[in-house]
Amino acid sequence: MILVNEEPLAWQVGMTVRDILRAKNYRFPMLIIHVNDTLIPKQDYDTTVVPDEAVVKVIHLISGG
Amino acid sequence: MSQLVFDPTKVMPIDHTKRTEYLDGLAAIKADRKVLKEITYTPSLPDKGYNNRSLYVNVDTLEITEKPVTQQMKDVFIGGRGFGLFHLWNAVKPTTRWNDPENEIIISPGPVAGMTQYAGTGKSLVVSLSPQTDIPIDSNVGGYFGPLLKFSGFDALELQGKANKDVILFIDGVKGIIRVEEAPVGPVDSHVLGEVLTHLYAEDEADLPNISVVSTGAAAEHSLIGMLNFSFYDRRRKCVRFKQAGRGGIGTVFRDKRIRALVVRGPKVAGDLNHPADPKTIAKTGIKYHKEIRENDPHQCMMRRNGTAHIVEIMDAYDLLPVHNFQYGSHPDVHRIDSSYWQQRCTQVTVDGCWYGCSMACAKGADGLILQTGPYKGDMVTVDGPEYENAAGLGSNCGVFDPDYLLELNFYCDTYGICTITYGTLTAFVMECYQRGILDKQRTGGLEMTWGNAEADLEMMHQMARGEGFGKIAGMGVKKMKEYFIRNGYGDPQLINDIGMENKGLEYSQYMSKESLAQQGGYALTNKGPQHDEAWLIFMDMVNKQLPTFEDKAEALYYFPLFRTWFGLNGFCKLPWNDVVPSDNASQPEPQKVPEHVQNYVDLFSATTGIQIDKEELIRQSAKVYNFQRVFNIRMGKGLRLHDAAPYRSLGPVTKEEYESRAERYDQQIVTEMGLDPKGKSTEEKMALHREWRTGRFSQLMDAVYTRRGWTLDGVPTLARLQELGLDAFPEVVAVVKQHL
Amino acid sequence: MKQLVIDFKKCDAGRNCEHECELECAVKVFKVDDPAKAALQIKAYEDGGGIAVLCDQCGDCVVVCPTEALKRNKLGAVILNKTVCVGCFMCIGFCEKEAFMHNSDWITPHKCTSCGICVKVCPHGALSIVDVPEPAARIL
Repeated sequence: MILVNEEPLAWQVGMTVRDILRAKNYRFPMLIIHVNDTLIPKQDYDTTVVPDEAVVKVIHLISGG
Repeated sequence: MSQLVFDPTKVMPIDHTKRTEYLDGLAAIKADRKVLKEITYTPSLPDKGYNNRSLYVNVDTLEITEKPVTQQMKDVFIGGRGFGLFHLWNAVKPTTRWNDPENEIIISPGPVAGMTQYAGTGKSLVVSLSPQTDIPIDSNVGGYFGPLLKFSGFDALELQGKANKDVILFIDGVKGIIRVEEAPVGPVDSHVLGEVLTHLYAEDEADLPNISVVSTGAAAEHSLIGMLNFSFYDRRRKCVRFKQAGRGGIGTVFRDKRIRALVVRGPKVAGDLNHPADPKTIAKTGIKYHKEIRENDPHQCMMRRNGTAHIVEIMDAYDLLPVHNFQYGSHPDVHRIDSSYWQQRCTQVTVDGCWYGCSMACAKGADGLILQTGPYKGDMVTVDGPEYENAAGLGSNCGVFDPDYLLELNFYCDTYGICTITYGTLTAFVMECYQRGILDKQRTGGLEMTWGNAEADLEMMHQMARGEGFGKIAGMGVKKMKEYFIRNGYGDPQLINDIGMENKGLEYSQYMSKESLAQQGGYALTNKGPQHDEAWLIFMDMVNKQLPTFEDKAEALYYFPLFRTWFGLNGFCKLPWNDVVPSDNASQPEPQKVPEHVQNYVDLFSATTGIQIDKEELIRQSAKVYNFQRVFNIRMGKGLRLHDAAPYRSLGPVTKEEYESRAERYDQQIVTEMGLDPKGKSTEEKMALHREWRTGRFSQLMDAVYTRRGWTLDGVPTLARLQELGLDAFPEVVAVVKQHL
Repeated sequence: MKQLVIDFKKCDAGRNCEHECELECAVKVFKVDDPAKAALQIKAYEDGGGIAVLCDQCGDCVVVCPTEALKRNKLGAVILNKTVCVGCFMCIGFCEKEAFMHNSDWITPHKCTSCGICVKVCPHGALSIVDVPEPAARIL
């Protein structure tokens, strides 16, 4: 189990940041992602594997109107 | 993680210069004009962003005078919305209403406006007493009028009085002539009038971009929701296009004054007309920003391709897109009106900024639309946008997912001179009332206002333009419709009040605030009414969970409204602030504020005016005007806690269907937030629990926000807060507040 | 279209010349006696070799110019009409080669127009004007 923006999400072996975004349907393009307080650069979303019990923060910037 | 891959081969094969011509009547209008008053004046260019004078025109008495812009005005009100509020305060009494002759329309661009080196620097602020809210409304609008007014020598234009016959005000900033002309014949609707007047007042073809027209349309005359179109000449399309001062019915005031149009002819624009104190810093900051757009926009918001419509599918994915009068947050047909469609439908490889130097260029245009209804049926037109608000308001919120109908609705709103946001929200309300039996075919005069019935929707709009039938009732706006429906016994008053999405008399703009307490405040605790330009906190609050406590939410509802007010004091657009961000923004402290861009604004203001500010002073500048506006509302008999009340639809589920559509979330909240067990309880019982909890926490939010803003729990700025901001220098301001302390 | 090209087999990035190309451009085209304000800039790498910042007439700036101040001439070179330009500098920000330049004394930007003045003065014969096909306009 991991925590994504304070909500629990089932963890799987080999789960990447991209998998989390897909599972949460986080489609917004301007995100700031920290896994256990480490900033994950955008180009590493596909390759960064998230450990079990990780605390993930997906900060959506403000946009719109 | 951009979802969209652009395929240029899919661009529609439409010649973007091809459209119906409207210049036939030009000679007749030219011959028919009668000069009522003409004066000469000495044109000037700004010095460090200011001309230090404004123009006053009374369209009844034909008084045309220059007024000085004093140092105090600049220190306290900066410009733009600040100047608008200052002039309006001096023009009206507490008893003044929108259609009294002393009500004014003030247009002011702000000291930075007209800069050509940074994105989003051509904005004007329009201020008037609103026919919908009876308090000041302010609307931030692009187009060339504001900058050209400034380059003609004026920091603001005040319009007062009511003419007997239609008039055109012409300001020639090259020759130094100001003229009021009678305009008895000719078109009223903006897409025709704008073309005709631009060609009428331009000296030759090269002069066309130096003309800007402010106009409205037929529906503004017969409704309370009129808006103003500000034109700019599109050289590539060879047509006049518009940006809108939409909210609050200023177009209605304009027509009530019998003003057909304002026309400015400015000098040829160059990069230094503001005569800024430090042009090097402006050039450096602008070039840095343009580069950022080139590098980052293609993989961030794609504003250059899609404009603000890029968030249609985003809002849908996060259950935040208003569907069927804000009942639901997503819809399976949304792909028909999302940005991957608009990207193909809007012409690419062109320049879409609404002022020079706007590299964000969000003012997209859909060319080659052949109209299916109304007085211009069969004509081929260019439709601006659609912007997100239009796609959501005219589209999903009313269940209209046919993109051509959506464009036609958008087109007619624009040319008839009515606000798309307001029209979208009021139509969604009408449709829900129809679906729930509050309205029926007899009450609507035959209009079948079912979800998605775009033909009936368009007919209602055409009625509004003709001043006929149910369209005329709808044109009163949601607040007055609610009162009318209740008075006539059309349905359950509580239901009607709950689902009518207005606050202070202004319709909500197109975001679902139901699941974000901070955004509920972001809408309802505004000065002018529920518009997202004060604070958009849904992601921070609901998705990111960055604002867990009332104090956190209050801090955001202190900072963001003040920060965003500042754009309107100076002539800036909000979009370039945060619809692209620097590559290293993620590693900055408080990335949601986009600190590098905040510093850009500090630098641009300082470099223009020569007054060195920092980011704290920026907020202080806004706070003066923001609190002045709050006191202005109180002076007009509003502006207190009771006027900040929100319709329940914006706070929680009004109906069983809404509750059940999100039953899992709502049941869970009964457990976690209320400490109760939802098992065995009926939907009605659970809804009642939610209502109590949600209205209670909204009230707590009000307490927290008012406290943070330095206001009493009744929403009145305290004397200490006014002193802190230097507003105690205005005895009238202090006197208003004292009655409520 | 006419394009200025540089052959780094011949150019030694200013190690054995006086940057004649830059000076000629600055003096003859821009009437300033300062090679830093020329429309081409030759820069030497510390470890040998070099780079030239110059316009290849790709036309990206034509697409973004809000006033149509940038147009191709008969020879295909992109030329700025200074009387139409409003000095927004979007052309500079959108130039991937950073060949559109800003002189803080001027309110309009400037760049190489493939005029060829520099070609004649290069002591190494490294510069030439070539004729290449005009690329299609890009969506920017």
